[in-house]
Amino acid sequence: MINFQYLRTTSAKSALALLVKDKNSKFIAGGTNLIDLMKRGVTAPEKLIDINHVPLKQIELVGDKIIIGALASNTAVAESSLIKEKLPLLAMALNAGASAQLRNVATVGGNMMQRTRCGYFYDTEMPCNKRQPGSGCGAIGGFNRMHAIFGTSDKCIAVHPSDMCIALTAFDASVVLANNKTERKILFKDFHRLAGDTPQLDNNLKTDEMIIRLEIPTNNLGKNSHYLKVRDRASYAFALISVGAALEISNNRITDVRLAMGGVAHKPWRLTASENFLKGKEATVENFEKAAKLAMVDAKGFGENDFKLQMAPNSIIEALTVAKSKA
Amino acid sequence: MEKQLLRDENDRVDGVYKVTGKAKYFAEYELPGLTYGVLVTSTITKGKITSLDTKAAEKAPGVISVVSHLNKPSAPAYEQEGGSPFKIFYTDKIFFNGQPIAIVVANTFERATYAASLIKATYAKEDFNTDFEKAVGDTKAKKLQGQPDYKRGIENAYKTAEVIVEQKYHLPIETHNPMELHGIIADWRPNNQVTVYAKTQGVKATQGTIANVFKIPIENIQVNSEFVGGGFGMALRTWPLEIATVMASKHIGKPVKLVITRMQMFTMVGNRPAAVQTIGLGANRDGKLTGITHRAFGETSVYENFTEGVVNMAKFMYQCDNVNTQYTVVPVDLGVPIWMRGPGEATGAFALESAIDEMAHALNMDPLEFRIKNDPEKDQQRNKPFSDKNIKEAYRIGSQKIGWKERKNKPGSLVDGQWKMGYGVSIGVFNANRGRASVKGILKADGTLVLQSATSDIGPGTGTGMTLIASKLLKIPGDKIKFELGDSSLPPAPSQGGSATLSTVGSAVNDVCVSLKSTIAELAANSNMDATSNFIDVLKKNNLPSIEVTKQSQAGKERDDYSMYSFSIHFVKVKVHSLTGVVKVDKIVSVGDSGTIVSPKTARSQMVGGAVGGVGMALTEESIIDHRYGRYINNNFADYHVPVNADIPEIEVHFINKPDPYINPMGAKGMGEIALIGFSAAVANAVFNATGKRIRTLPITPDKILATA
Amino acid sequence: MQSSDKESNQGDSRRDFLKKSSLITAIALTPSVAVKAAENQADERFAELFEKIPLNLTVNNKAYKTSVEPRVTLLDYLREELHLTGTKKGCDHGQCGACTVHVDGERVNSCLSLAVMNEGKKITTIEGLANGEELHPMQAAFIKHDGFQCGYCTPGQIMSAVACVNEGHTNSRAEISEYMSGNICRCGAYPNIVDAIVEVSKGGTKA
Repeated sequence: MINFQYLRTTSAKSALALLVKDKNSKFIAGGTNLIDLMKRGVTAPEKLIDINHVPLKQIELVGDKIIIGALASNTAVAESSLIKEKLPLLAMALNAGASAQLRNVATVGGNMMQRTRCGYFYDTEMPCNKRQPGSGCGAIGGFNRMHAIFGTSDKCIAVHPSDMCIALTAFDASVVLANNKTERKILFKDFHRLAGDTPQLDNNLKTDEMIIRLEIPTNNLGKNSHYLKVRDRASYAFALISVGAALEISNNRITDVRLAMGGVAHKPWRLTASENFLKGKEATVENFEKAAKLAMVDAKGFGENDFKLQMAPNSIIEALTVAKSKA
Repeated sequence: MEKQLLRDENDRVDGVYKVTGKAKYFAEYELPGLTYGVLVTSTITKGKITSLDTKAAEKAPGVISVVSHLNKPSAPAYEQEGGSPFKIFYTDKIFFNGQPIAIVVANTFERATYAASLIKATYAKEDFNTDFEKAVGDTKAKKLQGQPDYKRGIENAYKTAEVIVEQKYHLPIETHNPMELHGIIADWRPNNQVTVYAKTQGVKATQGTIANVFKIPIENIQVNSEFVGGGFGMALRTWPLEIATVMASKHIGKPVKLVITRMQMFTMVGNRPAAVQTIGLGANRDGKLTGITHRAFGETSVYENFTEGVVNMAKFMYQCDNVNTQYTVVPVDLGVPIWMRGPGEATGAFALESAIDEMAHALNMDPLEFRIKNDPEKDQQRNKPFSDKNIKEAYRIGSQKIGWKERKNKPGSLVDGQWKMGYGVSIGVFNANRGRASVKGILKADGTLVLQSATSDIGPGTGTGMTLIASKLLKIPGDKIKFELGDSSLPPAPSQGGSATLSTVGSAVNDVCVSLKSTIAELAANSNMDATSNFIDVLKKNNLPSIEVTKQSQAGKERDDYSMYSFSIHFVKVKVHSLTGVVKVDKIVSVGDSGTIVSPKTARSQMVGGAVGGVGMALTEESIIDHRYGRYINNNFADYHVPVNADIPEIEVHFINKPDPYINPMGAKGMGEIALIGFSAAVANAVFNATGKRIRTLPITPDKILATA
Repeated sequence: MQSSDKESNQGDSRRDFLKKSSLITAIALTPSVAVKAAENQADERFAELFEKIPLNLTVNNKAYKTSVEPRVTLLDYLREELHLTGTKKGCDHGQCGACTVHVDGERVNSCLSLAVMNEGKKITTIEGLANGEELHPMQAAFIKHDGFQCGYCTPGQIMSAVACVNEGHTNSRAEISEYMSGNICRCGAYPNIVDAIVEVSKGGTKA
């Protein structure tokens, strides 16, 4: 690791001012992904701007929206009584990710900025279009058991690793971003990108911007919600498949439903067609199976990850079934 | 540091050190002028280094030196290139991806790490193959006999049996991954005096290797290794990276510390080799085995050969007149393997114990009943009685504790919602080794006993076991006994491996204590004291501050008369989720049949640990290589899945705890290996019982459950 | 909420220094190879002064005022600078938990935290857990239940276990296991570790 410069700041304004001063600078918050990547030589910023002291840690209900500051820790959000009451799916998703130690320092903004865990991305001696555009994709034709089945490109089949983002995608959250002049608000589902021809870009955050906060509309989907994470060991592992499922059921009819999947695409994958199918239907296994089938229409395996074509719909059914069964 | 009071006689003697952070592992010794080494490794798999540009690294902040094949210091044993073992820095040849090609030494770890990133190597690449299974299937690929073929009775008799099972079983590369990273501190001082702080399972072995490589007197070398953060076999040899560090210290005249990275733990300190095995079993309809054939291919490297006991178990574990085995090793362009806990026997047991279960199913018999029916009265391979074997009792205890009667012989019978439940059993067996060791005992008039031996403790609780043996014999409380180990200047003992330490070193402790006892009795008689007098009084009366004795102990000729093994029976209950394919181990019962249990608490922990390792082998562990590049793709703890706490249910351990009358004075046999051997088959058998799906390729990950019809 | 900017000004100093040092180079006569080498070394010694930044933190109730390169992790700082080697390096990538310490009372992986990010914080390591000779209840419980073998992951396990109790994640064995899954133990002492935590949490000891 080069001996980068380190600066500490206590306001978003000064953080953004510092950011634009130097092209090869990066914010550091929890650092749980960034330091890992720096140690592996995947990224080598010359300047780190420590934003941990910037006051963006709020978790609060404002009107009908829950506001979460970009620097709230994963633990703070998962353990917040407000979140546990209003958005249990988000708490479940957060607790399914990483370890207690990592969640204590990892922030909401950092979680959104997490880079893929693809082994080719991490090994600087292997080809990877995300790390080094034009070098090729090692995973295509290589070890791709963990990789994407939706929205892939011939440049990259990496998956987005976050659990938290699956829940946020399901809840129609918005993200407020700022540069040193202005703020803008985008839908959470538009924050992350598909790989396309620019796999080096994980998201639509501009180089002069920072994440300020999340705004999540409240809903009635709390009671019947479930986050299912299928992985190679019981905890502390990335998802083979994960499903965030939330139902609002009235007289056994589904009045509202949210479904999103992780471990399947370069971004959190919302299952809109399945949701549309389920709305107004009875909450039966048969309907869950049909919804799961609809979710898989555009899925494509790459060999080692072909099993996901079966595991994904199965997991949707399981997540919906468990969500429904919650009293 | 003062010895801490034992809280309970069965607690670990070094427990307080370990829970307070005071236990010092190799990398934690402060030496004046200590420098930091970082390795540069090859990025190609096979070929030659054509250039190595170290200029930028040498100029980088804090860098003291870069040592490579271009400027290696003298190591007489390495002057002749080629041959085995691999001679680091004495060749420009690359044998595997990740091979160390230089060591950068700087005044801080960070600076050495950065400087290492500045080194530029160019290579002449050659074609390579890292794909073991491909090499096995390639008739033109080099293959070597790993062990003489074995035949008893008719070869391949299974083929003509009434009921036949013939199946192929696949094991991937597993990586030991002790929690402590490997490395060494080497301090080469003037007049060729060398002190090292090592992570080793054998201080004498490390001492001998360094003496041999540098051709310096063995007395010049001091090896310290008091605490070792796990080994599981990977620290049974002195690796090239350790020699490289000694060279670097010799080169710069300062102590050098090298701690390798977790990524490097996959490439340069051995692995459990991959294996492909075919088992043929024949039985008559009554369920008696009539033929066993075990053929195995194991992975080895091109630059050093490695073999292990993959096919041993088939030769004696079941009553059968017709047995033949064959073991072939196949070199690939990877780092050389090394024994990993349970070593080859664990590899072999997965295949054999899965096949036994398959045969029981084919016969529509309870697999436990089938095993009992074919339990041998004597060792047919050596034509000798077993010194001690209580397998039937172990089956009885284990089956009762797991609730075997709940098991249904028809797979897929036990269902709870989406979960399917199943039970599995398997047996593990390992040679009850006993080597030669010396122990020195110093009995002091202050009431304390010091015992010394150059043995190791990589975790099983060596000092605790030895203290308990001495405490019992001399009736001295454990907190008055100190067992010193991990120091090459102490009386010699073998490396800690093959489940032999308690038997080997414990016997010498026994002999020392017996000798001290008789000396005290003699002294008492000579000074007209009662024969039962306390040794403190006897020593005081004789004006002796202490007496000491050194004893060497080894097995006698009872080994010629008996076949000596430790056994374990593993019972496992699993739940398999039919939609996601997730396998959850629900309950584990392991029964150890390994003679007297000397140290009940640490013995139980060893069995528990073996079961956890077995869960990893069965369900989660696989070192994956991209054969296009010859590089590991999951060489880290996030992607190579060692089981975590949440994977492990409560584990019940039971011991037969009867002395083996012939093995050694304690009647105790080792259990480090049997704790794991066979376990993976118990899981696979339970998965079959739950689902009807027979998985013959480890690990049994959810995708394999979903893929199998 | 507005607060005044407090920026460390270390950022620009290195560049300034390098400029000045180029000036020195320019003044130097005949730039022979020998002079160049010596000058590189001298540069290095000066550079060190500029590349380290001040750090004040408290470890086990003892205040430390030092300076450190920004790239030094809290783990390496504890082990190599303060010689507090009870905190272990198992993976250096936040994937094993051996380096777990408490920062302001919360468990974190010290390998993924830069030392300089802990300015003004209170760190507790395994060495600071016991009260003099009296073991912390969790340490005693680990001995009693044999919650370790080789002992290398143990400090991290114990620091994590103490936090697990303080967080209240001890309502069942399953919950304990889940919240202790960030600490890998290759010797496989997991059930014994859970036993130790159950005992301490039942004892009602505020860990």
